[in-house]
Parts: sequence; C-alpha cells; structure tokens
Amino acid sequence: MAPNTHTTLVTSLIIMILFVLARPYLLSLLPKEKILATLRSLTVKGVLTAFILSLPVAISVLCVEDNAFAFSIPWFSTPSFDIFFSVKYDLYAAIFVPVALYVTWSILVFATSYMKGNPKIDHFFLFLLIFLISMILLVSSNNMFQLFIGWEGVGIMSFLLISWWYGRADANTSALQAVLYNRVGDVGMLFTMAWMATNLNSLELDVLFNNAGNYNLTAPLCGLMLAAAGKSAQFGLHPWLPAAMEGPTPVSALLHSSTMVVAGIFLLIRFSPLMDGNQFALTTCLWMGALTTFFTAVCALAQNDIKKIIAFSTSSQLGLMMVAIGLNQPQLAFFHICTHAFFKAMLFMCAGSFIHALNDEQDIRKMGGLFNLLPTTSTCFTIGSLALIGTPFLAGFYSKDAIIEALAVTHLNSCALLFVLVATSFTAVYSLRLIYYVTMGQPRFSPLLAISENDPAILKPLARLAWGSIVAGLLITCIFTPFKTPVMTLPPLAKTIAIVVTVMGLLFALELAKQTSKQLKHSPNPFTHHFSNMLGYFPLVFHRMAPKMSLYFGQHLANQMMDQTWMEKSGPKKASNTNESASAALTAAQRGMIKTFLTLFLLTSVLGVLIVLF
Amino acid sequence: MRASQSVREQQPVNMAGVGFRRWAQLLSERKGSGIPALFPGARAAAGLAKDGLPGSFPKTPEEKAAAAKKYNMRVEDYEPYPDNGEGFGDYPKLPDKSQQERDPWYQWDHPDLRRNWGEPMHWDFDMYIRNRVDTTPSPVQWSSACKQLFGFIGGALFLLYLGELFPSYHPVGPKQYPYNNLYLEKGGDPEKQPEEEVKNYEI
Repeated sequence: MAPNTHTTLVTSLIIMILFVLARPYLLSLLPKEKILATLRSLTVKGVLTAFILSLPVAISVLCVEDNAFAFSIPWFSTPSFDIFFSVKYDLYAAIFVPVALYVTWSILVFATSYMKGNPKIDHFFLFLLIFLISMILLVSSNNMFQLFIGWEGVGIMSFLLISWWYGRADANTSALQAVLYNRVGDVGMLFTMAWMATNLNSLELDVLFNNAGNYNLTAPLCGLMLAAAGKSAQFGLHPWLPAAMEGPTPVSALLHSSTMVVAGIFLLIRFSPLMDGNQFALTTCLWMGALTTFFTAVCALAQNDIKKIIAFSTSSQLGLMMVAIGLNQPQLAFFHICTHAFFKAMLFMCAGSFIHALNDEQDIRKMGGLFNLLPTTSTCFTIGSLALIGTPFLAGFYSKDAIIEALAVTHLNSCALLFVLVATSFTAVYSLRLIYYVTMGQPRFSPLLAISENDPAILKPLARLAWGSIVAGLLITCIFTPFKTPVMTLPPLAKTIAIVVTVMGLLFALELAKQTSKQLKHSPNPFTHHFSNMLGYFPLVFHRMAPKMSLYFGQHLANQMMDQTWMEKSGPKKASNTNESASAALTAAQRGMIKTFLTLFLLTSVLGVLIVLF
Repeated sequence: MRASQSVREQQPVNMAGVGFRRWAQLLSERKGSGIPALFPGARAAAGLAKDGLPGSFPKTPEEKAAAAKKYNMRVEDYEPYPDNGEGFGDYPKLPDKSQQERDPWYQWDHPDLRRNWGEPMHWDFDMYIRNRVDTTPSPVQWSSACKQLFGFIGGALFLLYLGELFPSYHPVGPKQYPYNNLYLEKGGDPEKQPEEEVKNYEI
C-alpha cells in the first residue's frame, strides 16, 4: 500500500476512534430523555468499537518503517507563537490505546452490574467516557499544550469520580486530596511549558527534541519529574492514591491502577530522549522510584482494607516503573505499564466482586473462605496476584523481571537495587496475605449473606482480563522490538534474583500465616506494625501540620496581625499613643517649676558651648 | 358559589397589584419615621438580633454570665479569649478539636457537620470541619511519629547516597581492551612495538 494511502487510512481510523468514543457524550447533550437511558449500552459499544478499530492502527504502526504516524492542524496563532492540534501515533500510543480500551471495555461491562442500583449510573458512564477521551488525547498528543489539556482532563475526572458519593465527607476529603496533590505536580508541568515556550518558542515535542541539545535541560526536566511524581503518586506526593479508594471500585480499577496514574510515567517516557543525556534527572528518577516502591510496599504489609492493599501495590509498581525510567529504559517502563494494566484492573474488579458479595465489607479480617463461594472470582484474583508477583510466564514476569535484571546488571546505585528487591519480596508477602485472608480458611462473615457469582456482567470481564494477564506479556514481547539491546550475559544470581526474592517472600509469608493459628502473643504490637499500618505516619504528620499552619496563620495574619499592625501599631492608635506620651512629657515640662527651667538652661548652655567649640 | 367569585376565578389576578396595595396600606398605618418606616414589619427568620452579636471583653462576673447565656453555654464552660488587643471580644474560647473527633453514630442535627443547632461555633470552625484539619488522637505520640517518619526518610536518603558511592557491578569477566590493551592510548611509544602482544581472542 502506498505510504500516503496508508497514512490516510490510519489517520481516518484514529479520527473514527475519537468520534466513536465522543458519540455517546455528544448524544447526551441532546434534549432527549431516551438517550440518557441508553447511554450505558452506547458507551460500552462505543468503547468496544474503538478497541476493534485501534487494532489495525496498532498493526499499521508496527509495520511502518519509522513506527509512527503524525498529523498536525493549525489551531490558533499569535504574532509570535503558534499552537497546533497535533497527533503523533507512535509505538507507545499505538500499543497503549488498545490496552486501555480493552481494559476500559471490561471495566464498563463490570460497572453495569456493580453500579446497578445507582440512580445516576448513566452520568457515571459519561464521566468514565470523558476520562477515556482525555487519556487518549494525552497519550497521542505531539505538543505540550494538547498534552496538558488531557493531563488536566484526567485530573478533573478523577476528582469527580472519587467524590461520586459526594454525601460522604470522607469521599470529599479524598477528592480534595487528589486534586491538591495533583495540582502540586501541575506546577511542574506548567513550569516546563513556560520554559519551552520561552527558550524554544514552541510547544511541539518534535521541535523540542531537535533543538534542545544546546540547552541545560535540568530545570524543565525537574518540572516534568515533579509533574510525574504528582500524577503517579511517587513518594512525597503519594497519599492521594490510597485515599482515592473512597471512589467506586470501577473508578479505582480504571483510573487509579491502569490509566490515570501511569500518565506521569508516560510523560517521562515521552520525554525520554531529553532525559537520555541528563544524569541528574536519571539519578533523581532512580532514587524517587526506589524509595516509592520500598515505602509503599512496607505500607501495604499491614493494611486491612482490601482496596488499600491493592492501591499501595499500585503505588509500588509505579515506583518500579520510575526505577525503569531512572535506568534509562523507558521501553521497559512502558512494557510494565501495559502488563500492569491487565492484572491490576482485574485485582480491583475481583476486590469489588468480593465487597459486593459481602454486603460492602472491605476488611479482609472479615472475609475468608471465599474460594468455595466465589470460585471464579477467587481464581482470577489468584491469577492476578501471581502475575503481580512475577510468576514465570505470566504477564508481570516479562516486564517486572526485565526491569529487575536491568537494575541488577547496571553499574548504578546498589541501594536502589536493595530497595527494589526488598519491595519485590514484600509484594509476594502482601499478595499471599491477601489471598490467605480473603479466599482461604474459614469464613469470618455472617452466614446469612446470599453469595453467588452468576452474573455474566461480572464474570466475563474478569475472564477477559485473566486471559490478558496470562498472554499479554508474551504478546507484547513478541511484537515490540526493544530499542536498546538487553544485557545477554549475566551471572546466574543476577538472572534469578527476582524469582529468588519472590520465593523467599512467599515462604516468609507462609510461615507468618502458619503462626496466626498458634496465637503466640495476645496482640502483636511492634512499632513496625504501627509504622506500616499508619502509612509511615506521613498523612498523620503532613496532613495535620501543613493545613493547620497555613489556615491558622492565614486567618490570624489577615484578621489579627493586619488589624493590629494597621490600627494599633502604625495607624490611629499609634498616633494617639504617641501624641498622648508627647503631650504628657510636654505637660510635665511646663508646670512652672524652677528646677525644670534651671535644668533646661544648663542643658542648653552645655549644648551651645559644645557647638561653639566643635 | 357566588357569581362574583366565579368571575374572579376566571380573570387572572395581578399579584403585583395586590402586593403594592398591601404595602401602601402598611405604610399609611406605620408608626415611626425615616427610611425604616418604609419597610413592612415582617422580620427575617434568619440573622442575629442586636443583643446576639459579639460584644466587648467581659470584665465582671455578671458580664461573663450574660455572655455565656448569649452563646448558649454554661457559665462554668464559658471562657473568653485573653484581652490582648487581638479583637476577640467576648467570643468563647472553645477547645481546639475538629469535627472528626465527634461521635459518628450520634444523631446530630447536621450529620455531615457533626453539629447541633444552636451550638457555639469555634472561632476557627472552617479549619476544623471534616474536610480540613483532623485533631483525632493517634495511637502514637506526635513526637514519636515525627521521629520515625523523618528518621526513615533521612535513613533512606543516606542509604541511597551510600549506594551512589558504592554502585553495584557484576562483571562477567575482566575488562578486555583492543589494540594491545590500548597501548598507544595509554602513552606507548608509536615507534616501538609493545613488549608483550595482547590478544583477547582465539581463532
């Protein structure tokens, strides 16, 4: 096929994908009540159609020589600056979009059952659709302005969806947390955009990559790393992710595991050509990723809410992706994004199924024995957990193992390697803990609950994602040629270190699980448990200290200090006090006393003599 | 039904005219003078009466009792802010506790605010709503929590710094260099052949 025909076909397909996704939203703007009732099915069918259309696009991109399609439409221009609507459909976008659409399709079908009782379910689906469009805009944009529109879009939809049950104060607080932490990251993004506009007079990524070689890129890269840290819940800006579990489970499955949270990592992958030569940026990413993966894995060990454990697991995997960026291996990070989307979304959906079956119980201490009652869901949960811990030849193995191998053979920070290995073993520990508490043992819930899993809207999406968790790794490995040659000769220890620490973690967890039946102590209360259970005291310290100081001082500065300063220390009261003291002094001097006159005479004489002499 | 009433029902009534007529009637009967006399006598249900507004700092026990009554508090519970010129007046100094600390199961008049109608509001009430600062006591002392958190962060950063000084490296074998172990690059004499020829391959 001639290149122009090929380009036209792919461009048409991309536009059709966007149209098919936007169609339900555009129809919802029409004043017809009937449309609202069918929005659910329109949205699900739209996403499925978009997924099917995205497959030939992905195949075309893989077959084309430079693995990319791009088109650009002038949007608006000023005398000194032009902004285009430009789309670049390279390998990253071409593979991520079908993955995101497949996962979204499964989640939407799941949500038709999970959110069945909700009166505003159609708005819920609309919100998810708008989020999806923003995400696709983000991954396919070829300029910073368009990317920022998608960036903000996913952030706003995250806020709206976390606070879906806006009657709950906790949900509102969590949504505010998400927005504020993301806003801190957005400052970095805006700084980078301003730097680009000022120094390069363009926001186009191609212009940036071609012309930025002469500049010191540390400042804009720091802005990008801050943006990625905010969006991808890296250490320091991470508390919003576990708090976001206040939202409905489909939201957690789609936004806070598979798509939105990886936007930060995707941003750094997009800008990897600039990070290539900047050792400071790479080291910062490595440190940030290692600290995040270790800290969040520690926090996940002692949580009792099933969704919080999976949320911290997500944060830990995001740290691992950041480590891959720090190793200058953006392709590995992208690979992990794709495989992680499958099994993490499936874990969340299984958790949602458990929660729904147990009448909205989320505490794993009140679950148990669910393998007999919900066998399919438990099986999918186990497959997802096995994929998460990197069981050989499941999806997670291909990406996770590759990152750990790359870290093990790189002449870099040994402590980062240690942190990542410990986090990998902790992943096995909390995954086994989850399976042990949720699916094994005796039930610890009321026997009156009617538990069943005969809803195909729940089971089919789980099965789809289970297949994805098994084959996605192998599939992507086969079609995605690595840009950088991996190290082929490595010692056996370096090759097997990931599986060794995973097995060690599993054995350790099994040993701990065995001890729970013996009740050696009345209650285990080591300080490590508190540190882990209370999320490292990070929310306790920072969510009380910073808001209290800023709000308290804000009010007192505005009310008391300003009033006191202007009215008492420098304004009318100051004037009256000064006048009062001055008049009191003058009055004292003018009482007609001889000694006052003599003192003044003496002082004046001395002063005069001194002036004359000097 | 009277004929006049049925006619009235058929004809639409101009409510604006009704309102104006009522206002004019009130104005003619109103006692007093000035602009306040123009307004009808119905008082708004919301808003404080003049004697309900905050006043100056209470100096005598009678003033304290009156202030406590004004703020719907017991005299023994009432404590004003210190009179140090910050302008609090007789406003009560309530404990610095957030709404999150209050019983979630009690049947509050406003369940989302965890507050009953008529309760005195904290001066910084906007800081202590459930979406803002949480003063719930924690199982761990504040100082201990800070030490553990900042100790962890400091320790991790120190370890990462040590890791930079001692990077990990797993050589498969010793390094091999071409051109007789880089003889010329290491400052060897180009006129002379190297004493020992180094070959890193075998055919």
